[in-house]
Amino acid sequence: MEEKLPYLEKAWRDEAAKRLSAELTPEKMNGITTSMADIYANCPDGKSRWMFVRCAEGRLEEFLTGEGEAPEAEFRILGDYGTFAAISRGELGSQRALMTGKLKLKGNMAKALRLAPLADRINKVLSTVPTIY
Amino acid sequence: MPRNDDKTSPYYIDNPARVRAIQAAMRDRGLAAYLGTRPRTLSWVLDAFCPWHSYLVIPAQGDPAVFTFLVDATRLADETWFPADWVRAYAPMGGQDPVSCIASFLAEELGLGGGKLGVETGISVYTPEGNLTKYEWDALEGALPGWELVNSHEIVDELQLIKDPGTVARFREASRIVDVGQAAARAALEKGGWKGMTETVIAGIAALAMRRAGSVSEWNFAGLNEISSGYRTGLGACTPPTTREFQAGEPLMLDFHSMFKLALGDHSHNYLIGPASARLRRHADNFVELVSTVLGAYRAGRTPSDMASIMVGRAEELGCADFVVPGCEHGIGLFGDEWRIGGRIEGPFPYWTDPDHEYAAGELLICAMQYAAPDEGVGFRYENPILLSGKGCEPLSKYPLAIEEIA
Repeated sequence: MEEKLPYLEKAWRDEAAKRLSAELTPEKMNGITTSMADIYANCPDGKSRWMFVRCAEGRLEEFLTGEGEAPEAEFRILGDYGTFAAISRGELGSQRALMTGKLKLKGNMAKALRLAPLADRINKVLSTVPTIY
Repeated sequence: MPRNDDKTSPYYIDNPARVRAIQAAMRDRGLAAYLGTRPRTLSWVLDAFCPWHSYLVIPAQGDPAVFTFLVDATRLADETWFPADWVRAYAPMGGQDPVSCIASFLAEELGLGGGKLGVETGISVYTPEGNLTKYEWDALEGALPGWELVNSHEIVDELQLIKDPGTVARFREASRIVDVGQAAARAALEKGGWKGMTETVIAGIAALAMRRAGSVSEWNFAGLNEISSGYRTGLGACTPPTTREFQAGEPLMLDFHSMFKLALGDHSHNYLIGPASARLRRHADNFVELVSTVLGAYRAGRTPSDMASIMVGRAEELGCADFVVPGCEHGIGLFGDEWRIGGRIEGPFPYWTDPDHEYAAGELLICAMQYAAPDEGVGFRYENPILLSGKGCEPLSKYPLAIEEIA
């Protein structure tokens, strides 16, 4: 049985980055260049955290997590920890979370829509990481 | 189609200069940003067809952005001169509703913490005018602390009044296209072609001819190509076509609309389907005489009330004043601008044409005259874009003014 890793902590981030690099080829990511920051409010310890993804020509260049101010990103998605956790567990679709206002997107919606399937692919990989929420 | 801004084209419009002109007027009024929502503003600035409720945000300095409905954002980005990144979408999603988009753009992208925000509101007989709604006004006030919303539509309205050469060239082409439609309709009607034909069919025949000649739309909100026959010609100035069949001895009115690069062709022509009674012929001759009188009187320096007086005076002389609808024009510009004349709202009825508006050279308007004798089942309509100068006016549709009897 795989060891479960605390969500957004360093060990979880390293495992997630490894899986993302292995499974999401530039072809699968349509050769995109973009960046996205998920901003987690109301984490269990009361803090705010973030997860940052940057791709260049489809290749994962950066996958970071942290506390406080998130790095500048083309897209910023804001929501509660519980919402993001439900998405990572595969219990809630990111589209539905946006359409019901549980998540808020900052950035050019027209471009974001084209990137939505790619975000789903990232979430699908993240959902495979054994995680303690 | 993808945009091609050829500065040597007769249809070229310096759109960045339009933005700069708005920004100069904004600075004069102390506006930090301007929010355009009316199709007339969107057409004039974006130089692209923008049918969905959209929000054009122009800062006092720097580049503007537009937010339009998600389903149309990519197409709009393909057709406007704005860089693609400045054509944004709104959608019913968290953070992406229109008010959130506008607030985020002003505060986070432009770094504006407050000030006066010019908006467009008022009242119009034209349903899709696009004025900011009360809901939007309240929601923006709630989302933009530190901002004061100020109705500033006159900035754009005044800038739109005098047409630049590219706009006039587009209107000339739209009018040429409408004349192709009128010629096609004439050919279809003559030699008994009208028998069994309906208003909807002649509207379609003209539409096909105009599309083949380069029109992209029959644009008119009141029924695309407006057609009336028989008693319907006397029902007023809005006649979406019906399946009514044409009959001998009745009038027929064909009001065709074309669109070329957002310029609007609009020309009405009338016929009598033979044999015409002497009374019908008399009404027709009266109307042609009235139109000739009015076209001969238009020039810079005159006002709408001057023109109405000239028309009604001549109608009195002809003995047909009871059948004349007072007023002989409506405003026109790129798509969405088709009602009020003038930029200011200082007339006796705000947001209606000021009867004392003094026409200037370079103004374009639709000479629009309606003759209606509903009790006799007779009416006629004349519409034609006219370009005003100090010496007179130039009707842009060249289709000969006449009410012919066709057999």
